[in-house]
Amino acid sequence: MLKFIAKRLLFLPLVMLGVTMLLFGALQFLSPAMRASLYIHDPRQLSALNEVIQKYGLNKPMPVQYWIWLKQVLHGNLGYSETAKMPVSDAIRAFFPATFELTLVSFIPILLLGIYFGTLSAVKKDKLLDQTTRVVAITGYSLPSFVLGLFLLMVFYGHFQIFPPGRYSLDVDLLVHSSGFHHYTGLLTLDAFLNGDFAAAGDIFSHMILPAATLIYISVALLLRITRSSMLEELGKDYVRTARAKGLPESVVVKKHARKNALIPVVTLSSLLFIGLLSGVVITETIFDFPGIGRWSVIAAQQLDVPGVMGSTLLSAFLFVTANMISDILYAFVDPRIRLS
Amino acid sequence: MMGRRMSLAFFPALLLALVSCARKPIEQAAFDPSTYTELTFNDSDSMDPAWSYDTASDEVILNVYEPLFIFKGASTKELIPLIAAKVPTRANGLISADGRTYTIPIRRNVTFQDGTPMTMQDVRYSVLRFMLQDRDAGPSPLLLEPLTGYGGTRDAKGKIVPGIFKRAEQSVQIDGWNLVLRLPRPFSPLPTILASWAPIVSKKWATEHGDWDGSEATWKKYNNPEKQTSYFFEHAFGTGPFVLVRWDRNTHEIVLRRNDHYWRAPAKLKYVIIKGIDEFETRKLMIQAGQADSIYATRDVWEQVQNIPHVDIVDNLSTLEINPIVFFTFKLNGTANPYIGSGKLDGNGIPLDFFNDVNVRKAFAYAFDYKGYINDVVNNKGIQPTGVVPKGLLGYNPSQKKYHHDPQKAAYYFKKAFGGRVWKKGFKFTAVYNAGNIMRQSLLQVLKHNVEALNPRFNIEIRPIDWPEFLDAYIASKLPIFILAWQADYPDAYDFAFPMLDSQGAYPGPQHFADPRIDKLIDEAVAQTNPAAREKLYWRIQELEYQDVPDLPVLQPLDYRTQRDWVKGWVNNPIFPDAPYGCYYYPVYKQLPVSTQKPAAKAPKHA
Repeated sequence: MLKFIAKRLLFLPLVMLGVTMLLFGALQFLSPAMRASLYIHDPRQLSALNEVIQKYGLNKPMPVQYWIWLKQVLHGNLGYSETAKMPVSDAIRAFFPATFELTLVSFIPILLLGIYFGTLSAVKKDKLLDQTTRVVAITGYSLPSFVLGLFLLMVFYGHFQIFPPGRYSLDVDLLVHSSGFHHYTGLLTLDAFLNGDFAAAGDIFSHMILPAATLIYISVALLLRITRSSMLEELGKDYVRTARAKGLPESVVVKKHARKNALIPVVTLSSLLFIGLLSGVVITETIFDFPGIGRWSVIAAQQLDVPGVMGSTLLSAFLFVTANMISDILYAFVDPRIRLS
Repeated sequence: MMGRRMSLAFFPALLLALVSCARKPIEQAAFDPSTYTELTFNDSDSMDPAWSYDTASDEVILNVYEPLFIFKGASTKELIPLIAAKVPTRANGLISADGRTYTIPIRRNVTFQDGTPMTMQDVRYSVLRFMLQDRDAGPSPLLLEPLTGYGGTRDAKGKIVPGIFKRAEQSVQIDGWNLVLRLPRPFSPLPTILASWAPIVSKKWATEHGDWDGSEATWKKYNNPEKQTSYFFEHAFGTGPFVLVRWDRNTHEIVLRRNDHYWRAPAKLKYVIIKGIDEFETRKLMIQAGQADSIYATRDVWEQVQNIPHVDIVDNLSTLEINPIVFFTFKLNGTANPYIGSGKLDGNGIPLDFFNDVNVRKAFAYAFDYKGYINDVVNNKGIQPTGVVPKGLLGYNPSQKKYHHDPQKAAYYFKKAFGGRVWKKGFKFTAVYNAGNIMRQSLLQVLKHNVEALNPRFNIEIRPIDWPEFLDAYIASKLPIFILAWQADYPDAYDFAFPMLDSQGAYPGPQHFADPRIDKLIDEAVAQTNPAAREKLYWRIQELEYQDVPDLPVLQPLDYRTQRDWVKGWVNNPIFPDAPYGCYYYPVYKQLPVSTQKPAAKAPKHA
């Protein structure tokens, strides 16, 4: 196991290097003037376009620009993100905890609801519950997140005036920025608890409810469908028939035998969902004004903020490799026949 | 069985717990007379007055720092002294007879936000720092040009101009409590520039935090710096009515607090929160809920902000902006140019000098339906300019001839163009607009429709492009026509005439437009100190613009502001940054209208 983890971890820098080379190469298809658009926002600045290109070395050959960037990174400096208005490492530190917190709040219900209703749907195949969950799953899967997000915002915030957008309300804003508030983990809800301010924790949590609900509804559908089909496949197998013939209770057959074996595709999908959520959910973050990593990385890409794009891509690559490694480890737990080698 | 029941009960229980975590309904906590929340779209770039050249940052700077003068109320012409004790004029003798020396008496009772008195050294340092920092694409040339005669501190190769420090230093002198500015030649708009730019910073505070110490020996180190290297980037220390508490780049939020050491009466608001929210619907819901006092809402969403309870729409607000304005490129770049078809006058493209023929430009000018556009696209919220000088500035000539929609004249000029070959062969090119800009898209659709209706051989393709792609094509002179806008840096005709019509200006370069007569007149007008004579010169410039047709100024828009009905004291001054969405908060306060007054006003708990 340790050998497997070490091998994967050694592989990580190579993956990241490859990703940055590919990305840097792709960015060079854009002209220096295009990349200067990061610094020229206003028509009043148009006359200084050539000076900006010169200042930031945008007309230097691609390998030279890549080498300059790589040298910086090797010295622990990921560069400065013009779109985040802060160094890339600070931007990751600033935006990632918010996304991580939202991911945790969303992912646990996604996992529980997806597996629970997926299993139930398979067990009650073609019954009312199965039909209902399938309809719910299909609508969730096909509903664009901005439509659902805006709908939830209009109903809950616009009409009932609960669950406001943003990260927290004004009271809490002043609190979390005060010197008395300690940022232990960067996860604000947890930090508020640790600071002993339960009202603030409730406030921060309430701001996550609508974005989390949007993500849950949209993401749970896929997991539910996969669990259901995987369960149906397992329930039709001989060993399940044998287990039933032995007189085992149905709950044991379903939970201890069939579901355990049906979980392998679910683990794969869950890890992908988890990475997707961690890499940021752009539209949900934008609609709910939630300052996460997804919104920043997309703005960085739109505005050709090369250090920003490189930084967020490195983070995604890191998350992807790590999450894959974790899911591989989980396979072995779910099915002991799988050996990590 | 028990387990299933428990798990079934888990989710409703969880939801209930989540709902109960939500704070009390927003309406209860909405009215807070001490705190003003503005929701904007833009994000600030820097808090450094010598760096900032974007309206979002400038709005904060206006509230934290103070320039020498400020515009009186809604006026863009009348200045009142702020840091200065008097506004220099010829009449009061503070502008010399030759118009080259400005003597500006400075107030003695001004203090910075920590209560330390402002000195004359601070005033001089502020003006010099503003000029000499001179970052690429920054605002420094606005003062460098009038005070030193140079448009920048570096040459085209990026080398420091020899002697520029001495020139700057000599032009900004102090004499007791007077700031004396010595100009190489008269420059009439100078007071209005000083009312918008180079606010006063503390030399001591700057030096203590690692910024320039004001000496010749070190200034080059601080010339054209990296933005984030300066302490000024995210900190502020001014004399203004508010203090910068925090710029949270994570949540796009700026918090200002009332300056308790303010040298005038303190502001009425205690806190101002300026928050960037990208999504319009979210901004709208927040003002509807009373969680925002004003929001950024442009003309295309005007209908969506109508009839919201307790939300006022203050409409028909004047602007100092020409937007949109169509520019023709006189000499196109044919290298890998996807916008000019075949590159020949063969019906499938346009030649590189297509718009060099004044008949083509006039034909396009007559083909466009200005009235229809203003009526239908912007609901009559604006006027057709008579030239590049907008209404409201000296130099605007209401009697100046302007183009109007006349298909017959358009056809006449198309027939004359290129000796009749344009009409006979036809043409095809691609016109672009910035993706998502519906007003510009509509403009091109009107132009396309009207031009193509004249002759079936005429073909204009319309394509949206992103800003990076636009910049690339623009700087390489590849766009046959391009649409841009110009907003005033300071309220003077020179700020419009130079960038849009002078051969050294921002747009005529890539356009390859140059009219030596216009260049000469612009040069004369800026140095002319007699207002009546200046006005005549700008009138003549716009006559020539009408004849040359290098551009089509289509609209000077009227804006509107969306604010809660409890907002009082706001005045629209179109020269203030980000007006009418942004605000100079000093005179603003909040008061419930009599009919909706509630006894309990809530202050922030942790304030």
